[in-house]
Amino acid sequence: MSLTSLDPRISRLGLPDSPLLPPDKPELDQFETYEVFHQKKEGTAYAYVGPVHAPSLEVAFLFGKEQYSRRFACTGLWVTPTSAVQVTAYGDDAGSVYDTLSGGQNEPTEAPLSESAEEQAAYAAGEEDYDIFHLKKRGKAHMHVGKVHASSHAMALQQAKAVFGDQRPVVNVWVIRSADILRSDEEDRDIWSTTPEKKYRDALAYKVQDKIERFKAENPENAPQA
Amino acid sequence: MYGSASTHDIPASATTGLENEDPILLAEFEARIARGEKIEPRDWMPALYRKQLIRMIEQHAHSEIIGSLPEGTWITRAPGFRRKMAQMAKVQDEVGHAQLLYSAAETLGKTREQMLSDLINGKSKYSNVFNYPAFTWADSNVISWLIDAGAIVNQMANAKGSYGPYCRALERICAEESFHLKYGHDAVVHLATGTPIQRRMIQEALNRWWPPIMTFFGPSDKMSVHTEILMRWKVKMASNDHCRQQFLDMYVPKIWELGLTVPDAKLRKNEDGVWEFTEPDWEDFKRVINGDGPCNAERLAVRRAAEENGAWVRRALLSPKAKYVKPLA
Amino acid sequence: MNTDALKDLLYRLADDQLILGHRNSEWNGLGPILEEDIAFSSMAQDKLGHSLQLYTLLHQLGEAEPDTVAFTRNAPQFHCAQLVELPIGEYDFSLIRHFLYDHAEILRFEALSHSSYEPLAQVARKLKGELKYHTLHANTWIKQLGSSTEEAIERLQNSLNYTLPYALGLFEKTAAEDDVISEGIFVGEDEIRARWQENITKLLSQTALNLPDLTTLTPVYGGRFGEHTEYLQPLLDEMAEVFRVDPTAEW
Repeated sequence: MSLTSLDPRISRLGLPDSPLLPPDKPELDQFETYEVFHQKKEGTAYAYVGPVHAPSLEVAFLFGKEQYSRRFACTGLWVTPTSAVQVTAYGDDAGSVYDTLSGGQNEPTEAPLSESAEEQAAYAAGEEDYDIFHLKKRGKAHMHVGKVHASSHAMALQQAKAVFGDQRPVVNVWVIRSADILRSDEEDRDIWSTTPEKKYRDALAYKVQDKIERFKAENPENAPQA
Repeated sequence: MYGSASTHDIPASATTGLENEDPILLAEFEARIARGEKIEPRDWMPALYRKQLIRMIEQHAHSEIIGSLPEGTWITRAPGFRRKMAQMAKVQDEVGHAQLLYSAAETLGKTREQMLSDLINGKSKYSNVFNYPAFTWADSNVISWLIDAGAIVNQMANAKGSYGPYCRALERICAEESFHLKYGHDAVVHLATGTPIQRRMIQEALNRWWPPIMTFFGPSDKMSVHTEILMRWKVKMASNDHCRQQFLDMYVPKIWELGLTVPDAKLRKNEDGVWEFTEPDWEDFKRVINGDGPCNAERLAVRRAAEENGAWVRRALLSPKAKYVKPLA
Repeated sequence: MNTDALKDLLYRLADDQLILGHRNSEWNGLGPILEEDIAFSSMAQDKLGHSLQLYTLLHQLGEAEPDTVAFTRNAPQFHCAQLVELPIGEYDFSLIRHFLYDHAEILRFEALSHSSYEPLAQVARKLKGELKYHTLHANTWIKQLGSSTEEAIERLQNSLNYTLPYALGLFEKTAAEDDVISEGIFVGEDEIRARWQENITKLLSQTALNLPDLTTLTPVYGGRFGEHTEYLQPLLDEMAEVFRVDPTAEW
């Protein structure tokens, strides 16, 4: 006997009527995570929207696009492996975490997990771009503030302090090597062009007050009981 | 879509473990919350805070993924383009909310796979209302409107809580749920003001769903040491009774104005502005939440099947080099 | 303009999108990864939206309202290819169908964006970005899974072999073919099929999957003329179930 459901889709799955308890899911099902940033409209800063689980950066982009930009206007998307982000300590809402940076070799930050010794050596050979993100208030989202040019994450953070350190408040800073970010192409912006037309998933498209008023006028006996 | 906060099932005798925490760190942590600042994943936090948040956010996430099933029952049968597409978008949103919430819980140190594993093995709970069936299209509409309405009352309260990642997830969820609520209301109004067959359908669905709705926010809170601490830490934001009263205040008049009846002869608002109602059958609630409801077995069987049927995809794509790092925020 | 030929084309396009969008919505909540569940649902919604726009064009040409056309016809009145009616099966089949179908779909609408029938050209131009995402999604998945484990490659290969004759059925010609070409409404099935074959060959060559010699396969035809598999009528009955609860009502 297979399980018969009120849901015809479920009935078609042909599930056993009395299922056995499955074993625990193996650990290996756990994909890496990626962090997603979006741009709400042309010319505005990219903002952090959340993570996705994915088997690769390309798939993370596909997933991030639907999970984080299907419902509201969007003009661009950035995706990066979580392991590529260097995170500083968190400060208070009032101050700047840059003030707590020693400025020397002993940073209170960790190098991102993805950075191997070889990679570090390679970066040191030449400078490249790093993207800097600030968290202005706890509970809000990290925002892109700009790029710096440096030869390591630690150097990039020092550069960021020099360039953006006068901003207040700065609760937390993320440093990402620009090459580690997959960015939507300018020419692919049309993947979002119809989002505003999808009214069926927009609260504003559902207006019932007229219908209710008409019903009440036609059925005065239904006046509220309370 | 999630109702009752998960604190009521902690035995009042359980220890808080606070005596083992560093008093200076604890004081700083409490001062931060008292200042109205959010806690972020890398901050120091008491073990009890972490444990309760994982439990609460995980249950909320499970409620979204299981909650997609009752309305999913009607996804292939929604009448007309507009409702068909909206029903798809709504069920999709519930899955999306689960994704957001699992991510928020992950920042506290429990992996998504472990949470899903606990769900399909029956080790963790989800909102009890989803153990009831959606017999007709009208049932699906009642869920879209009133269960989501209840969830919003709860989520708006939780969005003012102290944990940053949960607040960020809830902000997005609440924005998306405003569509659910309007869509559900529209669908219910449409049936209530439609043909006699449609009106009967919606009244019958409301009759079926009212008792589960009344249990949605959970039993009255027992004030315990735990409850007090969790409220101080802004983990638990509003009492179950407060949420239930707020829900009744907002939605009973909207039901009545459609000429629909609520199947509770005692339901009324007294002079003090407090709603009186027949006490829900909490024994039955316990029986269902412990596995003996009309749909518990099916809901879990479906989740298990989804996990099993998708396992080859995940096996194929998992890189042996992949090293899991919990999401940042 | 030959309106009958135009309508024939629009029905084929719209019915394909409606039925496949409906089928793919069955995955919602049951997908292999939460994020993929969300992405697949979006594409199903898009297909429904495309069919609605096409039925709206038909309505402007004198056909019934979109809801009536979509929810009240029976199988013999449908012009979809049989490919889109098949049950969702396992995820390998649904992905292969998505890949084969969406590659044809994007070429069709690209060509239609130059249609001499301006309302159709407008609809086609508007969909460009959505279809770009759909094919990007299909390509990424087929490339990744198609070069992964033996298990996955075998599943995809079997699904590919099974699905190809149905996919070739997408290019079945109707009596309207010569007219839609000569009037510049559409480039015609032969041209789309040739480009489709080129594109899927190119993509599959980057995987461990083998594309069989298409000339040895017998396309599954009939769908464009109302001949369907045993799966279509039950699908339509299910889709119209609530509608039929009270046929006098508006839903």
